[in-house]
Amino acid sequence: MSQKEKSFNIKLYAVAAFVAVAVFLAVVCTVTFKAKYTAFHPDKLAEVFVENIAQSGDGYNAYKNTLVSKNMKYGDFIRKYYIEPNAVGEDGTVLSDEALKSKKTLEDDGTLAGQLIERMYPVYKELIDTNGWDNYDLIFSEYIKELKLAREEIFGDRFFNDEVFFSAFEANVSSYSDFLTGTEDVFDENTGLQLSEKTVGKYEEVYGEDYSFTAKITSEKPVDMNEYIKDFSEKLPGEYGVSPEDISEVKKYAVDVFLYEGFSVAAVEVTVVKIGYSWYVDNVSTDTKVLYSFYH
Amino acid sequence: MSGEKKTKYMKRSEIITFGIGLFGIALLTGWMPDYTATFFADFAFKGKGFDPDFMSNMISMVFLAAGIIGAVCELVIGYLVDNTRTKFGKVKPWVGFGAVPLAVISMLVFVSPDTDNQTVAVIWMFAIYSLYTMVCCAVESPANCFGALCSPDPAERSSAISIASFLRSVGQSGGMVVILVVGLIMKAVMGQQQFKNAEGQGLDLVIATGICALGIILFVMIFFVNNRERVPFTQEKVSLKDAVKVVFTNKNLLMVSLTKLCGFGRGVYGTVSLYIAIYLLGSKDLKLGLLLPMGIGTAVGTLLVNFVLKRFSTKQTFILFSLYGASSLSILFFVSRGIGFNDGLIIPFLILNFFCGLQHGNTNVTPNIMIADCVDEIEYKTGKRQEGLAYAGYGLFSKIASAFTKALGPWLLYTWSGYLVSTDANVAYAAQTDATLNKLLMIYTIIPAIFVVLQAVPMFFYDMVGDKKDTIVKTLIERRAAAADKNS
Repeated sequence: MSQKEKSFNIKLYAVAAFVAVAVFLAVVCTVTFKAKYTAFHPDKLAEVFVENIAQSGDGYNAYKNTLVSKNMKYGDFIRKYYIEPNAVGEDGTVLSDEALKSKKTLEDDGTLAGQLIERMYPVYKELIDTNGWDNYDLIFSEYIKELKLAREEIFGDRFFNDEVFFSAFEANVSSYSDFLTGTEDVFDENTGLQLSEKTVGKYEEVYGEDYSFTAKITSEKPVDMNEYIKDFSEKLPGEYGVSPEDISEVKKYAVDVFLYEGFSVAAVEVTVVKIGYSWYVDNVSTDTKVLYSFYH
Repeated sequence: MSGEKKTKYMKRSEIITFGIGLFGIALLTGWMPDYTATFFADFAFKGKGFDPDFMSNMISMVFLAAGIIGAVCELVIGYLVDNTRTKFGKVKPWVGFGAVPLAVISMLVFVSPDTDNQTVAVIWMFAIYSLYTMVCCAVESPANCFGALCSPDPAERSSAISIASFLRSVGQSGGMVVILVVGLIMKAVMGQQQFKNAEGQGLDLVIATGICALGIILFVMIFFVNNRERVPFTQEKVSLKDAVKVVFTNKNLLMVSLTKLCGFGRGVYGTVSLYIAIYLLGSKDLKLGLLLPMGIGTAVGTLLVNFVLKRFSTKQTFILFSLYGASSLSILFFVSRGIGFNDGLIIPFLILNFFCGLQHGNTNVTPNIMIADCVDEIEYKTGKRQEGLAYAGYGLFSKIASAFTKALGPWLLYTWSGYLVSTDANVAYAAQTDATLNKLLMIYTIIPAIFVVLQAVPMFFYDMVGDKKDTIVKTLIERRAAAADKNS
């Protein structure tokens, strides 16, 4: 034993331990990152993009994986191109000025905000049912127009900022998902008070209680890179901050939404592009309308 | 005595590398419990459709089980450390060799299995976090008691413990800085939205854990290579029965441990810090603002204690800082009441928070020095040197105190204060009455102040100071010299 201890090189052990752990950590981090972060895998990105929309009807959050969000946080994109232009009245009044807040706004404990959300939900649902989410410009523009009117009526002021928009809009996105998927009974953890009752979603009505959607790539379509870039250059909105030269690779997948193996309920073609190390869904070339209507 | 040239046992670099070792350990363990809870709740099984109420109850159970396992491990590891005899010493092997599994298991905590089975998910959470708790205990507890072995000179080891404690408290915040920096780098490399997507999967936590885990290896290995145990261990094997007896029957050790138990309510302020930020200061974003001045105060307090200890005994220092702590918290209470809960309160509140943080330097440093002194006293009385158990006893009381804190905090907040929980899905935080707001402030200030005073009470029965301490230290040095002569 003592011979063994004498031969133990503590400095060598320290270096070996550091190197071994560094390699282990690098491998674990890489594997975890690859497994969870879809933007490194075009096929996975396409499947997750379709599956998320099909499962919850949430096309709003699906844009977080598209070219819209390439150079800017999605929320900032909405702020810059839809909220800020709408936060100035036709008469030049800055609508986000706190001084515009009415007494009702200042004293609201959430009741009026709740009324606004309820009032806006049919507007949101109508927009999605009619258009899907591909024309986000129409969705945001129309929704904000109605929101400003509804808010003025309920709160009695013209105040409008990003918080007003996001709190109402995101609540509506969530309600729309609930409409499709249904909800469970919700109780307050501390008081035990029932906050909301269980509802049966549209999907359950149509496909039964144990329905489950899975998106899978059924084939990869050939893409002519030159033609794609040409077409892309013409259609690409300038506000994305993406130039055709940034794109190093393009793939197009046929993705089906399966209720169970072999039974497809919807099919879409998803185009994904590689910029830098990450892949993004080309929302300009991808038609998702069927994902908002397949259950009808 | 003053004319004698004092022997320096430790190289200057050893004092620093002792601190670097503790810094490395705290870099990982300082934030693991909080971020593990966040990871388990928000990221580990995202999108799997598990029952959120059931999962949140299970996460509470995981941490309760880990608390019990941690308390048992404290004693077991202490016992094992005291029965360790190697060329490197009794403590160093635990730290040097234990750091590798600690780094590996910490990383695995943030790698959840891809399962749709809720039971498998729950079993994994229990298994991985219990394993982490055990390995963490096997490294952290011995590392904390290295101070008692680094030098036979109490003054020298006090300085070493003080500097190491300072670096440890820096390390505790260092992990959070790593998370912040990782986020900034990921944002720069991936873009804002892609970072948000990755953050939504908890991937920033995975990377930060990887970096901190590598940090623990680097810093612990520096300590492992450079530091030596300089207090010879006694050769007698310690039985488990004797071991437990040591913890509960040595009066001074018990008094130091009881400071933790008597002061268990000091930490309840943590339960209400979010609500203080929301209701009294006006924004939940100020929670970090609340904790940062207090953290800086703690680090400064750790250095300050070193200076105070040069003029006063450990007992006097502990009592002085406790009185200071209670006074600073009381001042914070009265100033807040005076100004009222409005914007004008923010700056004075944050400044006073720094001064309240100074007292924590005392509780970080002084008990560790006292335990080292108690180890000397036990060796003087029994001939056995039991650093492992002495620190384990203190650790055990710390864990029990922490469990009491975790029970008292929520009770004070949700029951005693009359806090109203929002029942409206659109309102995150319901409006509170003035009486409730006042009680929230009391939970942050006056109630901890009472426990800060209570923690000082056992100190009045502590007597390992002055002539008694000098005599014991002198006798031990003579005994060790005689034993060394005999062996040679």
